[in-house]
Amino acid sequence: MSETLKVTTGRKDDVAVVYTEGYINNQGGEEIARVAGDLISAGERKLLLNLGGTKIVNSIGISILIEIIEKMLEIDGRLAFCNLTPTIEKTFHIMGLTQYATIFESEDGAVRELAG
Amino acid sequence: MSDSSSGHDWAELAELAHQEHGDRALAQGLLEAWRREQGTAAAALYVSSDSGFERTLTSGSGSFPERLPRDTSEGIALPGARLLAVGTIDRAPVGPLRVALVAALEIHRLRRRLKEQRFTHNYRGVELEALYDVGLAIASTLDLDELAEGVLLRAVSLLDARRGALYLRDGEGNFRLDHTFGGDALAVLPVGDPRLAAVLSGEPDAEADVLPGTHHHLAVAVEVDGDPRGLLVVGDKESRTGVGPFGERDRRTLGLFANQAAIALENARLHRQALEKERLERELDLAADIQKRFLPTSLPETGRFEVLGWNRPARHVGGDYYDVRRLQDDRLVVVIADVAGKGMPAALLVSTLHSALRLLETPEGLAPEMIARLNQHVTEASASNKFITLLLAEIDLVGGGVRYVNAGHNAALLVRDGGGVETLGSTGLPLGLFAGSSYRVEGTSLSAGDLLCLFSDGLTECESPAGEEFGEGRLAALVREHARRPLAEIVREIDRVTTGFSEGAPQADDQTLVFVRCTDEPSRG
Repeated sequence: MSETLKVTTGRKDDVAVVYTEGYINNQGGEEIARVAGDLISAGERKLLLNLGGTKIVNSIGISILIEIIEKMLEIDGRLAFCNLTPTIEKTFHIMGLTQYATIFESEDGAVRELAG
Repeated sequence: MSDSSSGHDWAELAELAHQEHGDRALAQGLLEAWRREQGTAAAALYVSSDSGFERTLTSGSGSFPERLPRDTSEGIALPGARLLAVGTIDRAPVGPLRVALVAALEIHRLRRRLKEQRFTHNYRGVELEALYDVGLAIASTLDLDELAEGVLLRAVSLLDARRGALYLRDGEGNFRLDHTFGGDALAVLPVGDPRLAAVLSGEPDAEADVLPGTHHHLAVAVEVDGDPRGLLVVGDKESRTGVGPFGERDRRTLGLFANQAAIALENARLHRQALEKERLERELDLAADIQKRFLPTSLPETGRFEVLGWNRPARHVGGDYYDVRRLQDDRLVVVIADVAGKGMPAALLVSTLHSALRLLETPEGLAPEMIARLNQHVTEASASNKFITLLLAEIDLVGGGVRYVNAGHNAALLVRDGGGVETLGSTGLPLGLFAGSSYRVEGTSLSAGDLLCLFSDGLTECESPAGEEFGEGRLAALVREHARRPLAEIVREIDRVTTGFSEGAPQADDQTLVFVRCTDEPSRG
């Protein structure tokens, strides 16, 4: 697995989807924050982070994801995650991310819920 | 600030303080109140940080830089903060407003600290969960590859490391790289390598060579009952500002994790070993089946000659081959061969030999070139460490003449009717050793009462419990002693004596015998 996180974006209905591939650590988290910041500045209010290409996340990456969630809360936006490995999903639950961001199994299910 | 406006501000601030995220809202309200009191169009509140002051709140319409240097003289200094405004600033917040502002900032700091503590507390939960998960994996994950990758990823993420590597000890005791994350790692730490001893004993910076390009390292042994079975190495601990060294707490966490992982990895290793053994058994059974198919199921009619072939394979140790074929022009071809090695490679080589022998048969009969070509073919078809010993004899069923080539096989025994014993010794190197080997064709003849005995080394090399080999001398004496008995009885006698010699020990190698006896005087024309 590559050390550097790759981030790409897409759109489904009115949901901006951010795809990650690789390690969500300090560098990876900053990259996600940068992309999410650009999307928010462009007026996006529904973000879906599809972590299907990510097997590993560390505490720095989690703290950055929490900051993105806080930023979304400030603008009354919604943020959700999908395609998490069982380990990452469990970590997000323990770290409290699921209090403010919903986790979906699939991208389609998440888009249906967010777009509705 | 007038008394009347102060009363209005406090009412507004009290309301804001009860809202969610009240500290921020409170500070925002205070900033608004101060800006109005100052009569400026815009104001900004900067909070002290490691690198200077960071803009945290703005009020009104105006632009302010994101950061101010630590030694800035701009704006008005507050404890741990600075206030900036567009236009002239008459004075800092005074009286209750100032107290409230300072209190709001303190609350803000306390809440941030609380948030950090909650984060740390939750992350301890993640660490415990990781240990628990590895414990669960002991019972559930038997796929060594999957488990090893999972262990390494968990270790890297738990320690906030940027890189990592997992080494597992191989059969020779070397620590071989099994999985790596984030970059290259040393492929192997050989047993006896001082670096390995240094890493296992936890010497500072001993891991430096293991993860090239990293600046900070931590390694712990993966031990089962105090015996190191692997090594977990992580490199470069991350923080928001870069990478740094791992601490004592990290060593304890990784050590605990490695202890749990060791049991799971050992479990999966034993499972893989069992599967591998099972697979090998199946392959060897299949190889034995294949090899058996190349042995003759019946022997040809040979008139004045009696022929008998006997083969008893050792379990899973293949390689013996024999064949007896009568050609159309009254020639009898007798072959015995022993392929070095075992299992599927040996069975495939027997198959190669079997077909090549048939393809190379010519009406002109046995010739040195034929065996040289056979050797060339076997050399090309076999791995470098595989070879075949072979004895091929061509018997003229009419005249009794025998022409033979012995490519490194045990010398066949020829027991004459009068009791003398001759041998058909080597006339060239085993097949498959060197591509350019040459072979001689030697000759002899069979008369009435003569008995030719071809055998494999599984008989002569069977051992007594004391480790003594049965030997060719004992076999020759046995064959000579019973030479006049029916061939099946000679075989039974040899079997009885050799089995008795080894006192029932498991047969270590294939055993093969081929007998050809001339029963009547051939016509020598």
